[in-house]
Amino acid sequence: MKHLLEVKNLETRFYMQDGVVKAVNNVSYTMDRGEILGVVGESGCGKSVHALSMMQLIPYPPGKITNGEVWLDGQDLLTLSEEEMQKVRGREIAMIFQDPMTSLNPVYTVGFQIMEALLLHNNMSRREARDRAGELLELVGIPGAKDRLDDYPHQFSGGMRQRAMIAMGLSCEPKLLIADEPTTALDVTIQAQIIDLVKKLQDELGMAIMWITHDLGVVAELAHTINVMYAGSIVETGKIHNIYKDTKHPYTIGLLGSLPRLDDAPGTELVSIPGLPPDLLALPEGCPFAARCVYRIDKCLAEKPPLVEINGKDHAVACWRWEEIAGMGSR
Amino acid sequence: MTQINPEEFIVTDFAVREHRSLWGDAWRRLISSNTARLGMFVVILFISSATLSHFFWEYEPKKDLDYSLKLKAPNLTVTEEIPSIHPFGTDKLGRDIFRRVVHGGWNSLRVGIVAVGISLIFGGVIGLLTGFYETITMTTVERITLFGISGFLLGSLSAWIANQPLQLVGFTLLGLVAGYFEGFWAGQLKRVVFFSVLGILISAVPALFAGSSVALVCGVLGLLTGIFLALALDGRFFSNVMMRIMDMILSFPGYLLAIAIVAFLGPGLGKGMIAIGVVGIPVYARLTRSAVLSVVNKEYILAAQSVGESHGRIIFRHITPNILSPIIVQTTMGLANAILSAAALGFLGLGAIPPEPEWGAMLGDSYRYLTSGAWWAVLFPGLAIMLSVLGFNLLGDGLRDALDPKLRT
Repeated sequence: MKHLLEVKNLETRFYMQDGVVKAVNNVSYTMDRGEILGVVGESGCGKSVHALSMMQLIPYPPGKITNGEVWLDGQDLLTLSEEEMQKVRGREIAMIFQDPMTSLNPVYTVGFQIMEALLLHNNMSRREARDRAGELLELVGIPGAKDRLDDYPHQFSGGMRQRAMIAMGLSCEPKLLIADEPTTALDVTIQAQIIDLVKKLQDELGMAIMWITHDLGVVAELAHTINVMYAGSIVETGKIHNIYKDTKHPYTIGLLGSLPRLDDAPGTELVSIPGLPPDLLALPEGCPFAARCVYRIDKCLAEKPPLVEINGKDHAVACWRWEEIAGMGSR
Repeated sequence: MTQINPEEFIVTDFAVREHRSLWGDAWRRLISSNTARLGMFVVILFISSATLSHFFWEYEPKKDLDYSLKLKAPNLTVTEEIPSIHPFGTDKLGRDIFRRVVHGGWNSLRVGIVAVGISLIFGGVIGLLTGFYETITMTTVERITLFGISGFLLGSLSAWIANQPLQLVGFTLLGLVAGYFEGFWAGQLKRVVFFSVLGILISAVPALFAGSSVALVCGVLGLLTGIFLALALDGRFFSNVMMRIMDMILSFPGYLLAIAIVAFLGPGLGKGMIAIGVVGIPVYARLTRSAVLSVVNKEYILAAQSVGESHGRIIFRHITPNILSPIIVQTTMGLANAILSAAALGFLGLGAIPPEPEWGAMLGDSYRYLTSGAWWAVLFPGLAIMLSVLGFNLLGDGLRDALDPKLRT
């Protein structure tokens, strides 16, 4: 089966005054139709930048995509001009953002903003667009959707705004929906609602979803596949059960170890990964995680490990010593 | 024990959702302030008196002359000596000052509107474009337009020197070509050489008709233009160049620059308006640009891009409404400033040409008679300037408070 999305050797750089920030380094992976992919990593590891690169929304200057291909359904997005990209965005890929407070324009009504997206890509009248916008708001579970089309964003709560954003993202039924930390700014109950909503919508509409987050708990409920990113590279990728039950990369082990658990005895200290992520301005030559890694050997400092497939097809890890780190099941 | 039946409770919608618009809210705040109301009253009085007098009270300044009524003090009743009523007195030519002050308002209003219009349109467009394209990739059409305009503007200099409109066409075409074949030898010396040679040819050959020394100057200009067009212009470069030009204009003292422009164009109210307008461009350009920069990084702009909206749509539909408030305030204050500048130019004899009624010119005409006791000839035009400026400033202050985003929830 042909993949929906195939990212090959994606590389994004930011040319700043004090040097080149290597934000995304040689990222390659594939996504299938209807798949939910979780992209996990701590802040500043290039998760959002790699998604923005795919949509060619990197601020330029200083940002620039220096290498790579992004094949979406048979066309390489990185070779398209800005005009052609404007037709792809929204219709083929849509994106929803982290902060629902600022991602809706305060001077227009919510209905107007959803209608705008609809009118842009579809040949429909304003009347039809309005009806459709109402349906979409209803689909994302806003009570009294039709009456709230004329509300301004400040009359919506945070969760409702994020729902409205999702409605906007869904409006043109994209093949791929990128959700950039959509639940980070919301409280836990709303978070759970949004996750349920996305699951339900994914069942109904069958689109592929890329869920970018730093929260391993969220993707555990949602994703089929997980990419763990560190310092602009994918360090471990695989089906969800492989990642959680047969963790190989020391960084992923550290991430999972840092999660609090309900069955921990009271007083148990959370494990933290020592040190800080490397400065993207001056990435070390070897493995980017080497400086913080307890399994470090000399080879780690000298040479960057490639992403190698292990255990058949559904799991790959970028570590020299993965064989020795014998499948840490999550505690 | 009684059972609670949930249906007995009437759940009311506690959040009464009144569809109040942003501008409605601002208006309500504006009229609740006393100083803003006062400012608004003065401004309305000024505008209506100026407009009404212009259309319904005929006045021909060239025929207004009566030496028998020279420098009469204000009188509110008819006497034998003065057969007509002059509430503000008369000036050195026996003209009624009240009438001239009222009609002078029309000129001030015109100056204000035209000068601020020039500043606002040019400054606003420059600010919008430089702020927006600072970080946003241009489409091919936008890039070609930018290069074409750059070619036209740069070419206009040598075309002006050699008096050859042919060069203008040539440089515009060169710019369009440079923009269209952006990837053609991109970043290589070959590209610079190619466009420089073309630039020299376009510039120097037609200039030969005007003489060899002109051709030499034009050749150098053509070389520079070619190099400029060969470089990969991007939004940031464009915005840097524009803002440095704005800095250059700002580095001159405002009045001095206005006087220089008027001296260059020649006196007259219309030329004065242009001068005041040009001096104001950088103020609006900077204000708009900073406002755009603060909005363009908001997520709703990214969201608009990610649903595939075009750049023009984003600029006009998403950015412009969000930056209007500081611009409205600046425009109101700018009107006051323009009126004051026009009066200053008129006072120096560089604005309105006599006998056209203009407050500054009236002051300039009459201040010499102050020593002989004719206070009214100076007081009333001066008062008119002061009150109209005060009115616009008060209104501007009120608008700033009303539109302040910090007060908005």
